[in-house]
Amino acid sequence: MTDLWPRLEALLGDAERPARYINREWGCVYKPDADFRFCMVYPDTYELGQANQAVRILVNAVNAAEGMAAERAFLPAPAFCDRMRAEGLPLFSIESCAPVAEFDAVGITLPHELAATNVLETLDLAGIPLRADVRAEDDPLVLGGGPCAYNPEPYAPFFDAVSIGEGEEAVPEALALIRRLRAEGAPRGAILRALADEPGWYVPSLYRWRDEAEAQEAGTWIDPVEPGLPARIDKRLFEGFAQSPGWEPCIVPFTEVVHDRLNVEILRGCARGCRFCQAGMMYRPVRERSADNVVTSVLAGLANTGYDEVSLTSLSSTDHSQIADILTRLNHACEGKGVRISVPSQRLDAFGVDMAGLVAGQKKGGLTFAPEAGTQRLRDVINKNVTEDDLFGALDAAFAAGWRRCKLYFMIGLPTETDDDIKGIASLASRAYDRAKAAVAPDQRGNVRVSVSVALFVPKAQTPFQWDGQITPEEALRRVGILRRSVKHKAVDVHWHDPSTSFVEAVMSRGGREAAAWVEAAWRRGARFDAWTECFDGQAWRAAADEVGIDPEAVAQTSYPTDRVMPWAHISTGVSARFLARERRLADEDRTTPDCTFGTCSACGACPSLGVDNELAAPRTAPAAVEEQEAPHV
Amino acid sequence: MSDPRNFRLRATFCKQGRLALLSHLEVARALERTVRRAGLPFAISQGFSPHMKIAFGAALPVGVGGLHEVFDLQLTRYVSPEGALEALQAASPPDLMVKDCRYIEPGEPAASVAYPLSTYRALLSCAPAALPVPDEVIVVRKKKEKVLRVSDFLVGEMRVAGAVATFTLEAKPTGSLRPDVLLRACVDAYNAAGEGLAEAPSGAAAAIAAVPPADGQQASLCAPDELLRIVSVTRIDQRA
Repeated sequence: MTDLWPRLEALLGDAERPARYINREWGCVYKPDADFRFCMVYPDTYELGQANQAVRILVNAVNAAEGMAAERAFLPAPAFCDRMRAEGLPLFSIESCAPVAEFDAVGITLPHELAATNVLETLDLAGIPLRADVRAEDDPLVLGGGPCAYNPEPYAPFFDAVSIGEGEEAVPEALALIRRLRAEGAPRGAILRALADEPGWYVPSLYRWRDEAEAQEAGTWIDPVEPGLPARIDKRLFEGFAQSPGWEPCIVPFTEVVHDRLNVEILRGCARGCRFCQAGMMYRPVRERSADNVVTSVLAGLANTGYDEVSLTSLSSTDHSQIADILTRLNHACEGKGVRISVPSQRLDAFGVDMAGLVAGQKKGGLTFAPEAGTQRLRDVINKNVTEDDLFGALDAAFAAGWRRCKLYFMIGLPTETDDDIKGIASLASRAYDRAKAAVAPDQRGNVRVSVSVALFVPKAQTPFQWDGQITPEEALRRVGILRRSVKHKAVDVHWHDPSTSFVEAVMSRGGREAAAWVEAAWRRGARFDAWTECFDGQAWRAAADEVGIDPEAVAQTSYPTDRVMPWAHISTGVSARFLARERRLADEDRTTPDCTFGTCSACGACPSLGVDNELAAPRTAPAAVEEQEAPHV
Repeated sequence: MSDPRNFRLRATFCKQGRLALLSHLEVARALERTVRRAGLPFAISQGFSPHMKIAFGAALPVGVGGLHEVFDLQLTRYVSPEGALEALQAASPPDLMVKDCRYIEPGEPAASVAYPLSTYRALLSCAPAALPVPDEVIVVRKKKEKVLRVSDFLVGEMRVAGAVATFTLEAKPTGSLRPDVLLRACVDAYNAAGEGLAEAPSGAAAAIAAVPPADGQQASLCAPDELLRIVSVTRIDQRA
């Protein structure tokens, strides 16, 4: 492979933070003799992507295979992308500093809806044709995957194949197939046809896209171009997750990156069933790694990386059946070593605060809670099974334990929301502030801060709210205005996100294959790094919509009945469409559905369709019962 | 029980190759992680936000390498210097390798102030007939321009042998002159004085490659209209 280092080095003298381009980090794997080479790309900068779990897992999984090598690549900072173009320097991999276009296969993860233009920036900078149908025999196979692959259509023309679900096994298997077929001299078309038969792989070019009327009639938007192709792509599940070690080799970067710490995934999946939440639907069923596995993994990881912080990651770590045991044991094992243990996603009750207290030590910054909605009615609609008493119990515990700041997350524009629900956010925040003040000594009350952060609801594919339209950005700002006027306390801050980016997210989340032309036109007009506030270019997206004749407002804002066939109907998370429709109906009736890991099965369909069950390390106890237990102390 | 202040280990390490492009902060973080990986019994500060008791020597700019850089590490119990060195080396990346460990007395000055004199060696793209040293260098700090007198910092001569320049700078309590900044000023002055180059682009000298200085003594003389560039800068010695 070509070594671009001498050419890159000449540009680094005046690059900002050159450490992100130079490789040689602790833990890098080099397999120069491998005959099949895979490059895993995170479509944003090194700082944002290096700690990404998908990149780590897949690079490790491919490197574990005989004869196959995996390297990483990231987009350079925007100004450096321009510099490289001016110099004719193509996108390079980190380990070999080789052109990404020289790899046999390139994987691009789709971490969120605002990464779409960066996929095109990646391909273009690499010198790979943007559209799969014009790629030549010697171009790499471009594979997609990640959370946004659950509605792959807005990206479909740019990928040769898309991995649906968990990639631990699916990706190395597919690469082994590609490697074998290439060695046999199979043409690109034959390789793609073979990939389409692999479980969990979707090859968009083998399916014609139907129009609305035809799709609704047929019950699916895709039409296989030849017999024998699967009509539905079921997600892959890594069945060995719970038993697999929580520690696997990871790279320790030199330059500071987000989540720059040891990340140990302690459980996967969440069955709380919040009706807006895509992650809560697509990672089912719930699988826990045992306390022994987690504790051993953390200690091995700290010793091997030298990190002074570990995060016990998952969608809801305080729901782990053995979390108290895990934290107590880790606290004991790490005593006197200056190691911080963090638990993301605080559970909204006193137990969650007890767990936070177990790891906080003396330094208590802020605690973050997500009630999501301001009134009990709306919390029932979205199935956020949390009451005001839960929140106040959590606040009492947190402020009595020494915290002085708390952040509350809410969404606006949720289905059925009224102005009263918006005022409910202000009321809840005000009462939370009063409650927090009452829990601390009088001389400390001046330090109490409560901040409210609101985001615009984005209807996500594969959720009970997938049929619900988003409110317009103008309406969102009106509701933010109501909220701001309703908050009386000076110590309660209100923050909100720009609704125009949430609008693009909604289009990307709900769009069909026609949205791809919009993405490409927006990128050609300069849209890239859309997730960066300072880079988001709403004008480019608007002009692109006019150019390609798409009505993005209709895509984002139209509400449908639950019998409408959505553009991702051929992609299955295991959760049935019937369950999603039933949940949508229960939302209208303000009726909640309990978490099946604490009680009875809610018949979402994931377990029977995937042939598995929830896999808990120990029985989970209902939150109320846990609160009555003696909280463990170190 | 022995006084823990006695277990003050001074380690010498190199910063070279591509890793010369690391910033001081990045080097500091990398070394702290090296110490943790080495499993040494490091001391932890008490209080609000406990941290490893480790102290670093004078900072090197991004792009400037070093052959004898230092850090001090407080240990909680005795580990033989050989044992500590072995453990640190096993945990070090090759281009940020610990070279030596020894215990220092409790009263010895900290690594950051113990060696105010730094000698640098720079490899240039060709051998200049002479390298002019300006009297003053303008630096920008916190968006304010500041004029530094070179004679306040430069100790002895700027010596040039072939394409290799060697010079010594003294760190003052009030501030320092960066070696790369001084060299760039010299190279800019050389290029500006060159025949047929009324306007020398200073940016052309900006790329400091991070290769260790090769033997540049026999490098060919700069051609009359050839722009001089800095190839690499390395701190080769630090002393009191």
